[in-house]
Amino acid sequence: MALIRGTQRKDAAQIFTASMADIVFLLIVFFVLTYKVEVDRTKMDLPDTWIRNKIPEKAAVISIAPPDDMTAPLTVRVSTGEEMSLPVSTNEEVVTFASTEVARNPHKEFIIKADEQVPYEHVDAVLDALKQSKVKNIYLLSEQKTVDR
Amino acid sequence: MRIKKKEIASEIFTGSMADISFLLIIYFMITSAFSADRGLDFALPEDTDTPEIKQEDSIDVHVLRGGAIEVDAKGIPLEGLLPYCLEKLKQNPEKPVILRTDPDATYGDMIRVFDELRQAEEEWMDGDQPLHMDVHGKPLTHIQTISIPTRREIENLWSMLGIQ
Repeated sequence: MALIRGTQRKDAAQIFTASMADIVFLLIVFFVLTYKVEVDRTKMDLPDTWIRNKIPEKAAVISIAPPDDMTAPLTVRVSTGEEMSLPVSTNEEVVTFASTEVARNPHKEFIIKADEQVPYEHVDAVLDALKQSKVKNIYLLSEQKTVDR
Repeated sequence: MRIKKKEIASEIFTGSMADISFLLIIYFMITSAFSADRGLDFALPEDTDTPEIKQEDSIDVHVLRGGAIEVDAKGIPLEGLLPYCLEKLKQNPEKPVILRTDPDATYGDMIRVFDELRQAEEEWMDGDQPLHMDVHGKPLTHIQTISIPTRREIENLWSMLGIQ
């Protein structure tokens, strides 16, 4: 019996893309809502703590990072919380910065963002500068402590 | 003769929308930072209500270089800090805890001890129920005052007391 040759029906392979626009817009909306400008991008190892309270937005930031080279001085940067951070070289500059911010807003919160390996004397100097400037609330930035760490 | 109007369908060209959308996604993914936005808070005392605290009227926690701690001049492990404070605060719940840190200790060492002290709020409570009472029968739920004096403040106090 001869085989009957028939024309094979070819279905074109397709990826369903109709919902792609929805997904993409959903992602855009998510990123727009969660988007935050990080005023201080200094990379450092923050200390881990169990207690972590939410830091108010637009709090001023003082970051203290160890140098790459151990002989170099520490890097201290300050930010009002609305502008990108700028380096400062002396404690007097920290006092001036904090005093200016407190004069503008007496309830201004300050964040100390310091690497866990920074010698405490440097954090002490910043704390002292903030106390001299009559700062009322300070937040010590930390990562969430977990059982493994 | 009647001329038939050619109708042009109005439409918005959406062919490049996907490109623009993906470009926006990539931009937000790269520039948005999932930054740490939590930390340990503490309020500095107002000038008007800063009582002079004597060392003997307080619990003196001293963080040494290397992370070890001395409480009232006795070395104890970090796990023993809260039970020690609890016993002292049962006698006097208003007793402040003074956290001093050696200048050569690291910031991480100090934070570890401060975090431990702050955990009293959770350790001494079972949900809404306080687990401990002071000698007056009042619930003891947390450490009322944790003071972190700076080196300058400690030196000022010592010079006022005539200690070199």
